[in-house]
Amino acid sequence: MQHYYSFEKSSIGRFFDLINKIGRVWAPVRVSEASFSFKPVSNHEQVAFEALRTILPPKKLFFSPEETLFRFDENSIHEVSPPSEREVLFGVHPCDLAGLNVMDTIYSAHPQDSHYMKRRSKTLIIGLSCLPDKYCFCESMGTDTPKKGYDLFLTDIGSHYFVQAQTPEGLELIDSCRELFSPADEDQRNRFKQFWIYRSQCFTNKFESDNVPAIVDMEWDNKLWDELGQRCLSCGNCTPVCPTCYCFDIVDISSLDGKSGERKREWDSCQIVSFAKVAGDFNFRPGPVDRLKFWYRHKLHGFDDPYGFPTCVGCGRCTVSCPSGIDDIVGVVLQLQGKRMKEQGAEATKGDSSSC
Amino acid sequence: MLKVKQNLQSPFIPHWAIIRSITNLSEDNTLFELQIEDGDFSECKPGQFVQLWLPGVGESPISVCSAKVGETIELCIRRVGRVTNALFLLNEGERVGLRGPFGTGFPLEKYKGKNLCLIAGGLGIAPIRSLLQHVLLNREDYGKLILIYGLRHSAQLLFRHELKHVLRRRDIEVFISAEEIRGPDLPPMSMQLGRVTDMLSLAPVDESYEIAICGPPVMYKYVVQGLKAKGVKENSIWLSLERHMKCGMGKCGHCFVGGRFTCMQGPVFNLTELRFLPEAIECEGTESC
Repeated sequence: MQHYYSFEKSSIGRFFDLINKIGRVWAPVRVSEASFSFKPVSNHEQVAFEALRTILPPKKLFFSPEETLFRFDENSIHEVSPPSEREVLFGVHPCDLAGLNVMDTIYSAHPQDSHYMKRRSKTLIIGLSCLPDKYCFCESMGTDTPKKGYDLFLTDIGSHYFVQAQTPEGLELIDSCRELFSPADEDQRNRFKQFWIYRSQCFTNKFESDNVPAIVDMEWDNKLWDELGQRCLSCGNCTPVCPTCYCFDIVDISSLDGKSGERKREWDSCQIVSFAKVAGDFNFRPGPVDRLKFWYRHKLHGFDDPYGFPTCVGCGRCTVSCPSGIDDIVGVVLQLQGKRMKEQGAEATKGDSSSC
Repeated sequence: MLKVKQNLQSPFIPHWAIIRSITNLSEDNTLFELQIEDGDFSECKPGQFVQLWLPGVGESPISVCSAKVGETIELCIRRVGRVTNALFLLNEGERVGLRGPFGTGFPLEKYKGKNLCLIAGGLGIAPIRSLLQHVLLNREDYGKLILIYGLRHSAQLLFRHELKHVLRRRDIEVFISAEEIRGPDLPPMSMQLGRVTDMLSLAPVDESYEIAICGPPVMYKYVVQGLKAKGVKENSIWLSLERHMKCGMGKCGHCFVGGRFTCMQGPVFNLTELRFLPEAIECEGTESC
């Protein structure tokens, strides 16, 4: 059973003092008028509590965009381990927690990915509630509530943050400063319940999620993929911004004399033309249509084996970042379900979420 | 916080091996015998693959080419990409890296006691050779044996000397063909003019046979059609798929086929399984196959 506490929002500074003692704190920071990014912060004033979706999801902390796996010279190989200092990741919304859970599943499967696991296991994760905008559709993907993968989860209940502690490490943090936290009283528990009911009513961008994986599988040959593929620029924007795109490439970087170097891994994208190419230049997914529907299948149907679940978490990042407007997942699902004609366009069902 | 195993080792670290011998098999294909310096590759099975690493160049997935892997491992490699081009510049005594073995391999236990037909197209002979060696080493465990080996050009014939020995055996029927017999030299050994599928129609394959296939992607559709025409059951057909395996551990995503990691659940798949995987082979899900 979880433990439930609360603390006054006006004490958020003390909360940050507390987590800063654990290690470097990463939190959403405003980086432009309309964009946010997870960055190291030293106090709460740097944090953009209003941030809904950061440009890159928090996977970047554990699955680095570029990292050295090992260094080598003529005689030996030296493994490069990720830094071992503890860190805190603050302000993770439910969709991103669900994304991390997908990443955990992939990278903890045998054989475990030591680099990801080492980074992941030294990081305390503190979730934060949010209210959806017109691009969010986590409710349709069933990822709209925090289920696992966090140590503490803070829900904004007005004057206070309601705190769920899910792990011994989370509880230890609370125990280390009992004057800040008090056990959640009945009124706070009621406000917590009301918040999540209210939040579920705020979604305007949604679809009926019944059996979507089967529908996506059934519609593998749908002409919609051709129409979307013809508009796809194969820029690969949709993959780095996706909380569950975990593909990577491994490359050798050699010194000028060719005697030493390092082996690195870098984020890769299934939307790039060379992704499924084999030696001899045979390409198993030569066209944008092949690549786009492959990506959609991974997100909405999932890979059958060994994991067998859809990986989209409904964060809306791909929808926002696609320059061709073809990553409107909700619009695509509605069309595949036969509920909307394509002429009505992606924006048709996106209401204004200002009431929430 | 996520728990992590104590002393978790990086699965990306290769083992060293030394090139012990280099045997040219044809213009672009060479058999490399590697002496394993550290690491244990004795579990390698026919149909599995290893990652061959050239420091500073990169890795390339290569099929295990011999039935037995002990202190040495044999890899039949075509000079076709960045890594293999660099490999062909190396000499005996030079060092390379190896990771693996990866993948499932051919279902040796399922094949036991059955008639067996091995079908190779081009460089597909590399993994088929390891299976053939295994069957010949354990000949009493298997029934009738057929080898079909198709080439585009007669000059591309690989393992000529070994095949001559195999041709002399009475416990295996061998069908070798080339689509083009290239001059001015005579073909390295007796072979027929035609495609793999022509050889298949000549071979006495029937529904009692288990099949192992490895070749270029374009070949599968026609070979499967030919096998079905002969009454071979779908669940007796096993195909080795080519994809660009990079990590070998079901993580990097490059080898996804439909919903499977070729590097983990393959590269050898049963045809019944492939029919559920979109984009696996050209004939997937269509009535034509």
